[in-house]
Amino acid sequence: MTDFEFPNFDTMTPAEFESCLPELFANSNGSVSTDPRLQTFLRNNPDCAALVRDLETIAEHAKSLFEPDYEPSDTVWDNIQSKLQQEHPGDNNHSVPAKP
Amino acid sequence: MDLQGQSMTQMQPMKPAPAIFKRNPPIAGEAEAIERAKNGDAEAFSRLYALHKRRVYTLCLRMLGNVSEAEDMTQEAFLHLFRKIGSFRGESAFSTWLHRLTVNLVLMHLRKKGLNLVSLEETINPSDEDTPKRDFGSRDMHLAGSVDRVALERAVALLPPGYRMVFILHDVEGFEHNEIAEMLECSTGNSKSQLHKARLRLREILRRSEGPAPEQQPTQPAFKEAAL
Repeated sequence: MTDFEFPNFDTMTPAEFESCLPELFANSNGSVSTDPRLQTFLRNNPDCAALVRDLETIAEHAKSLFEPDYEPSDTVWDNIQSKLQQEHPGDNNHSVPAKP
Repeated sequence: MDLQGQSMTQMQPMKPAPAIFKRNPPIAGEAEAIERAKNGDAEAFSRLYALHKRRVYTLCLRMLGNVSEAEDMTQEAFLHLFRKIGSFRGESAFSTWLHRLTVNLVLMHLRKKGLNLVSLEETINPSDEDTPKRDFGSRDMHLAGSVDRVALERAVALLPPGYRMVFILHDVEGFEHNEIAEMLECSTGNSKSQLHKARLRLREILRRSEGPAPEQQPTQPAFKEAAL
């Protein structure tokens, strides 16, 4: 729930629309363009409609970045091993892991 | 996904976003490795490192934008994991838990560096000159070219740190605004506002990069010292 007060969707200006866009996106799970309350406004304000579509596209494609692109160097694992050896010398309960 | 040549505004809408747990499905052998690692099994810890090193490192790299720091924080994250894995209760996906642990370490690192020492609420607000400009009424300026994973990655790397942080946490990692607010020690309203500004800025960057005379084509990798 939110305490945000939305303007009248039928009479709001593009500036008012912009000011409530963060809340609209947060409350609509990213699909502002399909919000039935906004259809008239978006139809009458194609620039706002284009903005919404672009922002939705960016948000959707951001999810493709979730899959990792990069791999750490072997040094990272070497350092982890080294640190664990220092922390647990001769500790049989925390043996130092071998290279994966 | 190859989106070359497609307009952002012409692309077919994608399927509804899966929830974070759907994006973190159980990995074969992971649960067993977690239980064994809790009991100090070194081989199991190696397995967890192998399974998660790329995601943790990529998260660090995106948040920090620097290979050396990202490797240091990846190292810290897994050392922390080794020490704290006993406290993992399985209430969330392991990778979600590990990512949250990583994000908190990176944020702590940034605070130590002084980036957020005064007030995170303040420091995640870039100066006015960094604020994306309004561009209603300029219909010819619609984003009309293509956007793909590489272009978006490069654009994200160009975001001011505060915008980048919220964008990565929400749109890439799938955290909710209330979770981000807690991690960044700011209000949920601030998180929503920063996310919106980040997306507006990305729109500007992407639109500029596809224009007829881009100011400067990036010739460097998205991240410093990044070897892809």
